[in-house]
Amino acid sequence: MSSTTTTRPNGLALFILPSALMFALFFFLPIGLMALMSVLTGNPVVMPKVAFTTRHYARMVGDPYYLEVIWTTIRIGLVTTLVALAIGYPLAHWMARIKSRAGHALLLMAVLAPMLTGIVVRTFAWMTLLSDKGVVNQTLMSLGLISQPLKLMYTETGIVVGLVHIYVPFMVLTLTGVIGRIDERLEQAAENLGASPLRAFLEVTLPLSLPGILAGSLLVFALAISAYVTPILLGGFQIMTLPILIYQQISANFNVGFAAALGIVLLVISLMLVIAYNRALGLVSGQRELQ
Amino acid sequence: MSASIEIAGVSKVYDGGVRAVDAVAMDIRQGEFFSLLGPSGCGKTTTLRMIAGFETPSSGAIRVDGADITHVPAHKRDMGMVFQNYALFPHRTVAENVAFGLRMRGLDKATITAKVKAALAMVELSGLEDRRPAQLSGGQQQRVALARAIVIAPRVLLCDEPLGALDKKLRQQMQFELKQLQKKLGLTLVFVTHDQEEALAMSDRIAVMNGGRVEQVGTPTEIYNQPTTRFVADFIGDTNIFRGERTTTSTVASALDVGKGLILALPPTEGQGTGVLSVALRPEKIRLITRTDAATAAGSSAHGIVENTNFLGGAVLYRVTLESAHRVLVQQPNAGTSRLFVPGDGVTLEWTPADLVVLKD
Repeated sequence: MSSTTTTRPNGLALFILPSALMFALFFFLPIGLMALMSVLTGNPVVMPKVAFTTRHYARMVGDPYYLEVIWTTIRIGLVTTLVALAIGYPLAHWMARIKSRAGHALLLMAVLAPMLTGIVVRTFAWMTLLSDKGVVNQTLMSLGLISQPLKLMYTETGIVVGLVHIYVPFMVLTLTGVIGRIDERLEQAAENLGASPLRAFLEVTLPLSLPGILAGSLLVFALAISAYVTPILLGGFQIMTLPILIYQQISANFNVGFAAALGIVLLVISLMLVIAYNRALGLVSGQRELQ
Repeated sequence: MSASIEIAGVSKVYDGGVRAVDAVAMDIRQGEFFSLLGPSGCGKTTTLRMIAGFETPSSGAIRVDGADITHVPAHKRDMGMVFQNYALFPHRTVAENVAFGLRMRGLDKATITAKVKAALAMVELSGLEDRRPAQLSGGQQQRVALARAIVIAPRVLLCDEPLGALDKKLRQQMQFELKQLQKKLGLTLVFVTHDQEEALAMSDRIAVMNGGRVEQVGTPTEIYNQPTTRFVADFIGDTNIFRGERTTTSTVASALDVGKGLILALPPTEGQGTGVLSVALRPEKIRLITRTDAATAAGSSAHGIVENTNFLGGAVLYRVTLESAHRVLVQQPNAGTSRLFVPGDGVTLEWTPADLVVLKD
């Protein structure tokens, strides 16, 4: 096979050049610089004498505070992903299976509409809902269900609520594509063989939609752990996550080296997930590659 | 145990007012190979899906062995189904696919293993238990689908164009095997197809459908020899259809004037009358001889010129233009001795009035 498809200079290959250049310039170069900065004692542009060091990483490992921040970031990412999946899957299934075109268009609009508004605006909207004097607390108190306002903002719960709202569309759109490609007749075949609709879903549709579940989850998790605006506004600096910490290190402490090391950690977490995703996908759908 | 099915005045109207199935009524007997035959969009698949429980009739009732199942969900109907694209579970092995229905019925492992083995042996797929559907050929997938449907000993086996995706040789072989299996197991089988040859070859009885309605129900020979409607005559096999005014001539009491001087004697069973009528005459019921100068027998012969000769192997199909300008298909067995008529030959056509079939419009 490979002998017949040896690479031959192809005029069309030139068209890839602009994107290749852009990737090199704006993706690999910055990441390479960031990796370099994370092992230097200072910025070589402004400092005459810099040396290689591992002290930024040592600081992270040595101080439980930073480990706690990393763990908080991952925890928020995990919870956001799970909630987005729980909300997104039924919606995606509905969208993929709805017969009426108008119904499908309406659902799609409902999913996409929030994305037309900026993240900051949507997060402020959540603040008016979740704050101590916000809509939720006011309503519950006027109904006499609570006497003290619930602490909804400046908590991880508040951050998760905001993040889920922003990232559910990514989950839904990813899942809809995958579920839509599962032949409905497979579910019917299962029902015909005696499986209840729920059983047919669990035995057929769910396992066949695993690639979509994995892809959507990966996307939402990666976005959630790198989110900055929502954790700041809804967490109010009381909940520290990696992106906030990185920003502080750069803007307040001017410690670019440490910020770069934190950035690398964030990148490595994401990369490990992508690798795990590919492994898992290979396990659940290895046989389907034959089709 | 196989069951009988009664479809009583079933209609299916979709949102938007499309009548996919319109007042369909038929009785499918126990152990019968029953085909629903018609062009695409005739409502045959919708009818089958209503029997399976994937669609709910807008009106009417479906009964199995006398019990109304119109609103019983699909998974409680105990019917096997072979889908057009087989609908095998791609993430499961052949054995797991076949075992699925047995597992849903809560049978124990040993029983399931034994039954799966027997079912796969029946469709001659032993040894392929651990393959995935994607690793099988079309014919093998078809057999897995069949094994999966019959292993649960269904009351009725439903087949939705199951052989449509196979090439001709394989399709004929599978037709034969499916028919044998059906007889051996005494299955009530409802078979949806648009292929009239397939329906004629396999069925005990056929319901010909068109535009959501049943045109005719009958055995293959009835459907072919005595089509009752113009649609059935036209859809099943090749045929010549004439339409004209009833008339009487000096030699023929009951005849049809189809225009341009062509008079057809009606079958003796048809009495005298008036009005407009359509008749069908099968191409193989016409004899073709070299043109004679003798005048044609009134009502049962005509002169013409061969326009087109189509050698089919076992038979020869001629397209002949009559002196009355009617174009007629004539099929002659290939005896192998005489030379074929070629385009331009003058010929005389002869037929027996009793072979004309009077059609309802």
